[in-house]
Amino acid sequence: MIAALGGKVTSSVSNDPQKASMPDYDNGGNTTEAPDSWLRVLTFRTDHKAIGLRYLWLALFSVFLGMIMSLVMRIHLVWPGAHLPLLSGLDNSPQRYAALTLLHGSLMVLMVLTAAPQAGFGNYLLPIQIGARDMAFPTLNLLAFWGTALSLVGVAAAFFLSPETGLNLWICSVALFCAAALANALNFSVTTIDLRAKGMTLPRLPITVWAWFINAILSLLIFSILLAACVYLLADRILGTHFFSTTPFLYGPPHSVPAVVLPALWQRLFWFFAQAQVYVAILPCFGIVTHLISTFSRKPVWVHRAVVLALCAAGLFGFCIWGQHTFASGLNPYSPLVFSLLASSLGLPASILLMSWFGTLWNAKAQLTTAMLFALGFVSLFLAGGLSGLFLARNDLAATAGAGNDDFITGHFHLVMGIAATFAMLGALFFWFPKMFGRSLDERLGKIHFWITFAGVYFIFMPMHWLGLISHLHLSPGASLSAAIAAGSAIRSFVTAATLITIAAQGIFLVNFVASLLRRGEAVAKNPWRATTLEWSLPSPPPIGNFVGAAPVVYRSAYEFGAIANCTEDFASQSLAADSTPPAMPGGADKGLQSLPPYAAGTT
Amino acid sequence: MPGTHVVDDIELIIEDIGGGGGNKPPTGDDHGGGDGDPHKRRKPAPTSPRRYQTAIVLAMLSIVMFFMALAVTFLVRKMGSDWVPVHLPFMVWVNTIVLLASSGTLELARRKQATGDLKGFRRLWEVTTALGVVFLIGQVVAWRELVAKGFYVSTNPASSFFYIFTAAHGVHLLGGVGALLYVLFRNFANKPLTQPVAAEVTSHYWHFMDGLWLFLLALLYLGK
Repeated sequence: MIAALGGKVTSSVSNDPQKASMPDYDNGGNTTEAPDSWLRVLTFRTDHKAIGLRYLWLALFSVFLGMIMSLVMRIHLVWPGAHLPLLSGLDNSPQRYAALTLLHGSLMVLMVLTAAPQAGFGNYLLPIQIGARDMAFPTLNLLAFWGTALSLVGVAAAFFLSPETGLNLWICSVALFCAAALANALNFSVTTIDLRAKGMTLPRLPITVWAWFINAILSLLIFSILLAACVYLLADRILGTHFFSTTPFLYGPPHSVPAVVLPALWQRLFWFFAQAQVYVAILPCFGIVTHLISTFSRKPVWVHRAVVLALCAAGLFGFCIWGQHTFASGLNPYSPLVFSLLASSLGLPASILLMSWFGTLWNAKAQLTTAMLFALGFVSLFLAGGLSGLFLARNDLAATAGAGNDDFITGHFHLVMGIAATFAMLGALFFWFPKMFGRSLDERLGKIHFWITFAGVYFIFMPMHWLGLISHLHLSPGASLSAAIAAGSAIRSFVTAATLITIAAQGIFLVNFVASLLRRGEAVAKNPWRATTLEWSLPSPPPIGNFVGAAPVVYRSAYEFGAIANCTEDFASQSLAADSTPPAMPGGADKGLQSLPPYAAGTT
Repeated sequence: MPGTHVVDDIELIIEDIGGGGGNKPPTGDDHGGGDGDPHKRRKPAPTSPRRYQTAIVLAMLSIVMFFMALAVTFLVRKMGSDWVPVHLPFMVWVNTIVLLASSGTLELARRKQATGDLKGFRRLWEVTTALGVVFLIGQVVAWRELVAKGFYVSTNPASSFFYIFTAAHGVHLLGGVGALLYVLFRNFANKPLTQPVAAEVTSHYWHFMDGLWLFLLALLYLGK
């Protein structure tokens, strides 16, 4: 087997590198695109960078919309009488509040957490980082984007319709989003598998690409499950079927299946998706953070291979862990134990990642740029949120907490999923902004923004955990309830004030962002951060088709920092030829490969 | 200088498994005459056909998950006491034979293609497409047969599942018919995707749809 594969490799390397300088994979059919009107460019350009940016704009719009909603909700919790735009404008009912929560959640989870790190940054960077000219299927990519945009419109419109039609529209929009996510995932995985440049072997893939790739495979599996659940749900609501409820009129109340089982069926299908969805949101962030920490520590990723394996394991566990969320809904009594173990075992890949981050930072002369600060902020939030997650892996607490609108849960998942992921995204934005727009974001404003936000989110979500614990005090007899409630309302006001300040601080970011975009003058240098991956070998912003002329050839692994032989800098770009490397250090791909056939034959 | 040469020996093996990027030459033995001599790769070769083959495998994986979710719900829901078994309409058996036959003609067509008999290939491919359309029409006839017996979508869970399964499969098969027509009518001259590759990818999908139908049928028949 290995001999056979070895044979293929020989044939792929034995030809002259000069011959391979012509692009030998297609360019997606758009490198020759003539200049068009801006509307056509905006609507139909299939270039992966254009599409990635569109996703980021979509996410930016949604994140601010979603943030305004959370503000409205927080204010409503403290001053229920206040007249608020989205609540009282329609009618100030509990249903409106629930609808607002739903809209906030779906905007943030679907349009921001799922779309931005994966579809946004991934679309922009994955093809460049692997040395491809575009995604494998550019038209599919474009369709997926417009599907996502349409589902955003649908989700938002559902809020303004009557509850019945609104929910139907919402489910349809989510189904559309699933289809778009599936198309995206397919594109990402095929691109990573088949379009890598010459010499871009799997160990040389940047961790970001690994994360996007693993995430794409995971998405490919779970979004089809959510799609199936949506099909059933829509059939129940529109066609009058009874997949998730019993037919009432045939035999009277069913006996063999208790009434709770059928909603539980829906819950299982849904949570199968939803728990994995958490990983879909967080996996690309792991990749981004690892990448940033390594670049700004000027050190290779520590235990590189273990990190890749940990990412794979996180994807796998994320896929298996769905039962965790059904503790509250009555599974087989033994399965909570199994799922509890699984949930706790997620700690393993998570600790490997943490270990690698600290190992990379160890003894490093870290450059505390804004991007690095956000990456470190992510690590801190992930650690804090992960610790509170340990409590939830205990099924008794999770079961009590699952019953109702709980502040502990709210605090936990906002901290881990929402805020941590947002930090990773902000870090990525500060890091890649010069590449995307040819201008740098202002570092000083960025740092002010970071510190206010960092303090702010801790002031919001730590008290929120306490609130959750206070609301469980009635479980322990003898506690003075009234004192606890008084403390609770003070904490609640504090949380709301902290929310206001934190959201106001995002204004700094917005100013920084817009001002940097509009700033005239010199474009930044190709590689302001002195990073190694392929996108930094291109002009900023990269031209359509990325690699004009010769296809890139990769000679090095993704994180070659530190003292490097025959290299004056403290880093080596992946495309830096290693011809001059002394034979004692087999870093060069071609040398290594030519020694392969005897090596491979030896192992058979 | 730690980390500068962490990748050496193992990399060589993984390089192999990973395929060393999209530039590996096509293996050449599975699709006759794809793009010339596979061992002497020259200048701008057309798109590596591998991306289409990879895509169809991954898409099938995803579709399997979709139908697994449908099937698992069926198995759980079946335990409900409001479950009334529905006898499958006779027409589905006829349809099954039609679909199996279409898979057969598809393989025959690809054999003709491999031997270079493009005329025979087209004829058999047309027969396959026609059989696919006949199957879809047959499924609608089966629905009407059920409706005539008084089983509508919402009559009881079993009939709901029958309609949902056949509809979901039908939609996916419709995509397959689209792919068959694409292979027939697309002008492949100077395109990155060649006809043999398109035919191969389509045939994978078509056989998969065939197998999926047998699975769903078995589920509906044995699980009623």
